[in-house]
Amino acid sequence: MIEHAYLIPLIPFAASLIMMFGAKEDPHSPAPWIGIGAMAICLGMSLSILNAVAGGTVPLPYEHNWQWFSFAASIGGKSFLYDMPIGVLIDGPAALTLVVVTLVSLMVQIYSIAYMHEDARYKRYFAFVSFFTASMLGLVVSSNILVGFMSWELMGLSSYLLIGFWFEKDGPTEAQKKAFMTTKLGDSGLYLALLFIFAKVGSFQITQIHQFINQGYMTTTVATVIAIGILFGAMGKSAQFPLFIWLPDAMEGPTPGSALIHAATMVAAGIFVVARLYFVFLAAPDAMLAAAWIGCITAFMAAAMALVSYDIKRVLAFSTVSQLGFMMCALGVGGYTAGLFHLTTHAFFKALLFLGAGSVIHSVHTNDMRLMGGLSKKMPVTFLTMGAAILAIAGIPFTSGYYSKDMILANIYHANQPIFWIMLGTALMTAFYMSRLFILTFWGDDRDHEKHHHAHESPFLMTGPLVLLAFLALVSGFMLDRKGLVYSLLAKPTITAPQAPAAAEAHPAEAKPAEAHPAEAKPAEHAAVAVPVEHAAPATEAPAEAHAAAASHEGGEAEHHEGHLPHWLHLALPFLVLGSIGLAFFLYKGPKYAVADGLKANLAPVFRLLDRRWFLDDAFDLLVVLCDKVAALAFWIDANVVDRVFVDGWGLLMRIVAEVSNLLDALFVDRTVDGFGGLSLDLGVGLRALVKDGQVQEYLMYAAIAFSLAATLILTR
Amino acid sequence: MNAPLTLAHYMTLAGILFLIGIFGALTRRNISGILMSIELMFNAANINLAAFDRFLHPEGVTGQALALFVMTVAAAEIVVGLALLLAIYRGTDTVYAEDFNLLKG
Repeated sequence: MIEHAYLIPLIPFAASLIMMFGAKEDPHSPAPWIGIGAMAICLGMSLSILNAVAGGTVPLPYEHNWQWFSFAASIGGKSFLYDMPIGVLIDGPAALTLVVVTLVSLMVQIYSIAYMHEDARYKRYFAFVSFFTASMLGLVVSSNILVGFMSWELMGLSSYLLIGFWFEKDGPTEAQKKAFMTTKLGDSGLYLALLFIFAKVGSFQITQIHQFINQGYMTTTVATVIAIGILFGAMGKSAQFPLFIWLPDAMEGPTPGSALIHAATMVAAGIFVVARLYFVFLAAPDAMLAAAWIGCITAFMAAAMALVSYDIKRVLAFSTVSQLGFMMCALGVGGYTAGLFHLTTHAFFKALLFLGAGSVIHSVHTNDMRLMGGLSKKMPVTFLTMGAAILAIAGIPFTSGYYSKDMILANIYHANQPIFWIMLGTALMTAFYMSRLFILTFWGDDRDHEKHHHAHESPFLMTGPLVLLAFLALVSGFMLDRKGLVYSLLAKPTITAPQAPAAAEAHPAEAKPAEAHPAEAKPAEHAAVAVPVEHAAPATEAPAEAHAAAASHEGGEAEHHEGHLPHWLHLALPFLVLGSIGLAFFLYKGPKYAVADGLKANLAPVFRLLDRRWFLDDAFDLLVVLCDKVAALAFWIDANVVDRVFVDGWGLLMRIVAEVSNLLDALFVDRTVDGFGGLSLDLGVGLRALVKDGQVQEYLMYAAIAFSLAATLILTR
Repeated sequence: MNAPLTLAHYMTLAGILFLIGIFGALTRRNISGILMSIELMFNAANINLAAFDRFLHPEGVTGQALALFVMTVAAAEIVVGLALLLAIYRGTDTVYAEDFNLLKG
């Protein structure tokens, strides 16, 4: 099946074209089932690929390329035909991501059948969703990062279309423009990084770039520049600080579309691309540190904003941003496995949360949590499934979020202590705001009787996907974590850069036994891994290298060392999380939540700061206004200085020069010409004066004189 | 005084005769006088023709024959000239050249 992986993006793409151009618009159109069928086929293929990959029946990474196009190139005077291949590259993360994307997209589409059933642009919505998923799948399977970038941009387009799906209203159109422009700002960085890669490596093939770095041709500086560019792209797409401003506004789109954006496609793409080109980051420790800090700042700021928001979708959006921060931070500290693990589990529970929120909104027709409350009795399935998702995202033991977040925190703990404490706080905030959302929505008694009275459980087409996703949100972590499957599936890429020998020299005693005697590798590894903590230098090459080398030999126990917190912390974490949930329960359990309001009154400036989203939107507004002012100033300078002085002045100078030239011309050149003319005229007049009255004998005399003169001249020569 | 006649003698004679003819053509007021002076110049040319033929190519008579042709053409020319003179005299009652300036542009 893996040899037909190229079909995975093509099938939904074809389905979206058929739905867009082949079907008639009709609220009861059967067209969506085309997209659902296509996605089901893709899910089946992806599952079989994942099965093959996890079972080890195919050699990894699987790569197959076809001829795409070729163009004449010339380097150093040698001209040749450059062949650009197009192909698929399937490794563990790609296989896992394929399953996640197709599964979530399938669930979203089935759910949308019921959710969108009254919409005027019914089939168009499904065409967009299919197109969106196809773009993401294209990015995931592509072996050529240029094709990946194309898919990336198509995803930007799809998100634009989905966010502004209800374009009759002002909010969605503003939001879609904001999302598009913000992500494009990040994309420019990725684009530059790609150009730089091609200029340096001469290829867009991911494997070739990897080899190029392995052979040590890429200096740390170049790798850092490229990695920062990629990081910039990921910051836009995956909504990292400071470019996360688009994601909360993107809530204007249809809720299932938001689920797709937040779980499977758009925001996952940024993390996925960073993971796909992770070897570049491994060669650039500075970029890794930057990624870690950006992830950390993002996670904290977004979680803080989620604490105070009353819009159910906004809270979820902030939570997505925060979780993406976790992933980015994990990748930044070298926790490749942990980051992608969290990407997977997060996709399940975040899709579930959004679909659940959609179910609630569908039922009560408002986003405001203050008007909800007590919905548990009216919507039991939504209540229970959402509850599962809340448990997962909060990190209650043995749910999926517990495993992945635990692993992330452990990775950070071993790499960078300051970031760890911030992230720990953020994780507790996550538990708090998610329980707050849950309690405000479902717990206690109804606040708005009218809305509560009309609330109803959603149809089976909506609750079915919820149940399946809830199951996955609960058990996917355990399934993947079992027997270290996640480590073999999401194996961290290694590079054998020039730094590696230096690292080996630095710790010869540790590194060599680790390779020679796998059985004794555990103590050696401890020593090697302890290095970054001692030096407080995060994610340096040396331990990562030694670690990976040891990991490949052991493949089991010792490798998970970085994936584990110290024992006391590991035990304390669930209690901290429970405490955080308890606090949320205490603050928001009643219909009036007076304690929380009192807190809000006392901490008004903080709440205001968070309500205004750290004034980042204002900052960007200010930036735009500033840019406008600078542009106005530049225009003024252009109009008044450049135009006046240079253009007009130059014109004036030219006119003066021309006038002088004209004067000289009239004075000298023209005078000379006129003089010759006048002279010949005068001569003619003078000569004519010599002859009088047409006397024929005079003429004869002149002829004779002339003749004799000529004869004299000729004869005396 | 018995020196033989050379080409130079003939040419000198012809030159003097031509100059006399020029002088006459330029100074005579009467048109018939001018015509006569022109005849003198013709004759000077004829002397030259005959003399060159006699001294440079003594074996042929080309020059003499040409001189005879010139005389013939001169006779015809003088006929035309005298006819014009008569026509002018009849029209204007004068034969002086200075009175005719109709050709002045």
